[in-house]
Amino acid sequence: MAHDWQPDFEQLVDEHQSMVFSLALRMTGDRGLAEEIAQDVFLELDRHLGKIESPEHARFWLRRVAMNRSADALRRRRARCFDLWVEMEDHHGLRLEERSSPLGVRLEQLLTTLPPPQRAALVLRYQEDLTPEEISATLDAPLATVKSHLQRGLKLLRAKAHDHLREYIRVKEQARGV
Amino acid sequence: MEFEPPMNEEPDEFEQQLREALERRTAPLSLKRRIMARRAARRPQKMVVLWQRLAAAAVLAAVLGGGAAWEAHVREERQRGEAAREQVLTALRITGHALNQMNRQLAAHSRDEE
Repeated sequence: MAHDWQPDFEQLVDEHQSMVFSLALRMTGDRGLAEEIAQDVFLELDRHLGKIESPEHARFWLRRVAMNRSADALRRRRARCFDLWVEMEDHHGLRLEERSSPLGVRLEQLLTTLPPPQRAALVLRYQEDLTPEEISATLDAPLATVKSHLQRGLKLLRAKAHDHLREYIRVKEQARGV
Repeated sequence: MEFEPPMNEEPDEFEQQLREALERRTAPLSLKRRIMARRAARRPQKMVVLWQRLAAAAVLAAVLGGGAAWEAHVREERQRGEAAREQVLTALRITGHALNQMNRQLAAHSRDEE
């Protein structure tokens, strides 16, 4: 099919590097691995540049490949859930507190403890602001499955955040000698 | 259902917190440089592969062309051999015929002398 839009690789990198990197980071919980995945995704884009038909197609393609490559990497490395964040801060110098609130930081950490399919659905929903239909297309998964992952993931995250908040208050009160 | 789907409602405070926590992170400054470097490093490899393919195609064409020329040469040699054989056989037939004729004449001459 003929299309007028001519993709500019460098411009696509400029526009989408943060999106691809953030998706990989939230999925793997490992900054170094996320950088590697982002590089691989863009090099794969370079190989398929002739098939990209529009800016929307490029964004969709990048999201999809970033999620697939992240899932592959997770399968290979067997995600170690929360420990990954400790490792990430120790080895890659990520300073989570710089930007986010303490609860935001904790939510981001707790997200990595969810099963990968639920994590993928929540990341696409709350980072990329996609609808369940768009998530379904991106992950190539049935809509009902995506909705189920969103509901279960959110419920699980809420429960974990609630437990964390209670523990946080208890520790604070102990520290104050209450 | 145990709880309502979150996507059809106004996001609650928890979802709002989650949305803020999951804002996109800025990619490392070195990421683009590394991508462009790896891309540039891959370009010469593409050219090498292209030249290798061209060389392989040229060799294949030469082998096929040489084979065809050799086949034509062999066929031509065989045809020449066949023609030479035919000529020899014709010469032998003529010689045989002449010898038979001479033999008949000699026999007739001998009968006349007797």
